[in-house]
Amino acid sequence: MERRNFIKAAILSSIAGAIELKSSNLFAKESVVASKENDLVAVMGGEPEAMYKKAIQAMGGMSTFVKRGQKVVVKPNIGWDKKPELSANTNPLLVAAIVKDCLNAGASEVVVFDHTCDEWQSCYKNSGIEDAVKNAGGRMAFAHDEKYYKNVALPKGVRLKEAKFHEAILNCDVWINVPVLKNHGGAKMSIAMKNFMGIVWDRRFWHSNDLQQCIADCTTFNKMPVLNIVDAYRIMTQNGPKGKSIEDVQVAKAVFMSRDIVAVDTAAVKFFNQFKEMKMEDVGHLALAEKLNVGTTKIDNLKVAKFKI
Amino acid sequence: MYKFLKNTRVVLSIIFLVVISLSFVYLSKDGTTLFAGFLKFQFVPSVLGLLAGSFIAFLVLFILTLLFGRIYCSVLCPVGVLQDVITKIACRFKTKKNRRFNYDKPKNILRYIVLAIVGLPFIFGITLPLVFLDPYSNYGRIANQLFRKGEILLNNQLANFFPETLYHKVFTGFVLGSFLFSVVFLLVVVVMSSLRGRLYCNTICPVGTILGMISRISLFKPIINKEKCTTCRMCEFKCKSQCIDLATKEIDHSRCVTCFNCVDTCKFGAVKYRYSFAASKSSESSDNKEPKRGRREAMIAMGLIGTALATRAFDKFQFGQAKPKIVGIAPPGAKSITHLKKHCTSCHACIAACPNGIIKPAVMEYGIDGIMLPVLNFKDHFCGYECNICSQVCPNGALLPLTKEEKQLTQIGKVEFTLEKCIVHTDGTDCGACDEHCPTKAITMVPYGDTSLFIPSVNQSICIGCGGCEYICPSKEKAMIVHANEIHVIAQKPTKEEQKKVKVDEFGF
Repeated sequence: MERRNFIKAAILSSIAGAIELKSSNLFAKESVVASKENDLVAVMGGEPEAMYKKAIQAMGGMSTFVKRGQKVVVKPNIGWDKKPELSANTNPLLVAAIVKDCLNAGASEVVVFDHTCDEWQSCYKNSGIEDAVKNAGGRMAFAHDEKYYKNVALPKGVRLKEAKFHEAILNCDVWINVPVLKNHGGAKMSIAMKNFMGIVWDRRFWHSNDLQQCIADCTTFNKMPVLNIVDAYRIMTQNGPKGKSIEDVQVAKAVFMSRDIVAVDTAAVKFFNQFKEMKMEDVGHLALAEKLNVGTTKIDNLKVAKFKI
Repeated sequence: MYKFLKNTRVVLSIIFLVVISLSFVYLSKDGTTLFAGFLKFQFVPSVLGLLAGSFIAFLVLFILTLLFGRIYCSVLCPVGVLQDVITKIACRFKTKKNRRFNYDKPKNILRYIVLAIVGLPFIFGITLPLVFLDPYSNYGRIANQLFRKGEILLNNQLANFFPETLYHKVFTGFVLGSFLFSVVFLLVVVVMSSLRGRLYCNTICPVGTILGMISRISLFKPIINKEKCTTCRMCEFKCKSQCIDLATKEIDHSRCVTCFNCVDTCKFGAVKYRYSFAASKSSESSDNKEPKRGRREAMIAMGLIGTALATRAFDKFQFGQAKPKIVGIAPPGAKSITHLKKHCTSCHACIAACPNGIIKPAVMEYGIDGIMLPVLNFKDHFCGYECNICSQVCPNGALLPLTKEEKQLTQIGKVEFTLEKCIVHTDGTDCGACDEHCPTKAITMVPYGDTSLFIPSVNQSICIGCGGCEYICPSKEKAMIVHANEIHVIAQKPTKEEQKKVKVDEFGF
């Protein structure tokens, strides 16, 4: 490369970097303003839609997160070819409520997808999510082929330095992370952070390069969800994340919301712990993410709103 | 009247060809039941299906042949119809004179030798030669390797333009040997049919030969009225089987595929398709030996089919099949690798149908006598716990239909765990990818030594060999490997783990 070109490129890219930094700063400011309401909202005792409505209201309404004309991605967990009652996937009623709400807030389109583990068409169909999304006015995106993923660097990652992210996430304006609360044989818990495994292509790499660290690393991604909504209507307390029968499921009827992915996971683990013992320190990716300044596990310091319906 | 018969034949045959071709492209998911039904009405599958206990298809085809001759060859057989299409296309490149067919002597010795090569081993339970020569199975492989692949290429091109409605497909069943065999077979058929019409059907095809033997005594057949015939040769020119001998004014009914071309073309009403059981008895036929020979052959043919079925049904002969170390995992429903080898003709319907793309044509996984048979491979995916499509689409009964509940207990193989290769052991980090994918919880994560880590523990008695663990295992050398069961067994039911349902009123924080 010629020196002149190099300098040009350097200047341009540093400007680009600066702009991005600025915009994210701006964004952060904006979110501080918005979250005057609450940092973390927990609702229990109702049906998925009712709990969602209560919680999002306490978060300041969907219009706080989704602006008119924005392209929105809603990312539930649709990993398995299982019926909704088995709670291996996010509750379709909750997903539908979110999709509708995004459209009401003026979203130009709402796209839903997951990089499934079981055969994708069966997962989309039998989870009930495909139908729920379509009826709510959203669109399912394909995510079963490497072709749909683009490489993104994760400079802050410790083990996971880059990953192929789904183009829907890269192309959208904002995205909402909607995991289901589950026990997990490998990662101990599968909640909001673990749900990132469904937006990347190569998951084997994570498993073979310190799973807990990779989960934390992935959340250093520069395009984080504007909101994390944890579905805990039905929770899988054993044999997760796939589960084998209805015996693995308990009806907990709760939902958790936060912008802070570590905080929402912390809250969910503490809630889960009442059903089945789960120590915070065993869920290694939480502390690791806190170390990377992704979020906080000290939820007592946050402004938390709790509601019982 | 004859015009109607001929047109009906053409229309029906094209419908069947299209549906059979489409079935290989869209056998998965929605089309399963419809297409699987269609595929059953093929001769070789129907014979093999008989052994699996479904006799309707065979009865229909058998009675059809006894009544009307080789209707199967002209209407139902995809290779037969394909040849007609090729003949038709080839005609466009020929001069008018060259388009004509001329009578040709039967190549009986060749026909019967090929039949014997296929038939004798078949009687003794060896299906291998039939795998290579059954027309339906060959068409299946062509459809699978060429049409389905073509559809995928086309689909993926279109998917670039309509990324939201069409999804990207991957062709996973590619195996060079199987592909080349399909191409060579197709080329042979193309060349033979463009030069000589149905020559393939009447010299090489074992199904054509056996049906030809039966059709000698079929009740209805085309007969030449010797008084009316002016030897204008129009029928001969049109006969793609080249079986109308105008020197004797006889039709070789063993080679006639009942295409109705001759009766349709005769201007003098000399060739008639009619009830001729009595006719062959009467002296209308100048050569009295001919009908007797016909009946004898038909008897022989039926006797052969009968014996074949009986011997195979009794399973007396266990010919020393080479028994190499079995590494191939047979799809669920196969019962055993021996059962698969006996009943499968490698039409690859299961390969086309598998939504996970894990069934492939075998190379040497089953040994030399299992070449091209469907074998599972967990490189790209694993066997879906809720899926039983492959067992539903098999027309031969090589894969016996399994309900979902049966399939979920059918152990096609067992997993073996090698601690030394496991990430948790080698790297000292959490993994659990195998446990995550295990549908029966044959794999569970248990505390590992003094660490806070968990290591997989395997209970083989409830493992069904689905390969989820093998597929996802991130180790360079897989720590989880599924080994084939030579005979599929019923796994134990997954253990029930009841847990106390907790009533929680607080958030816990």
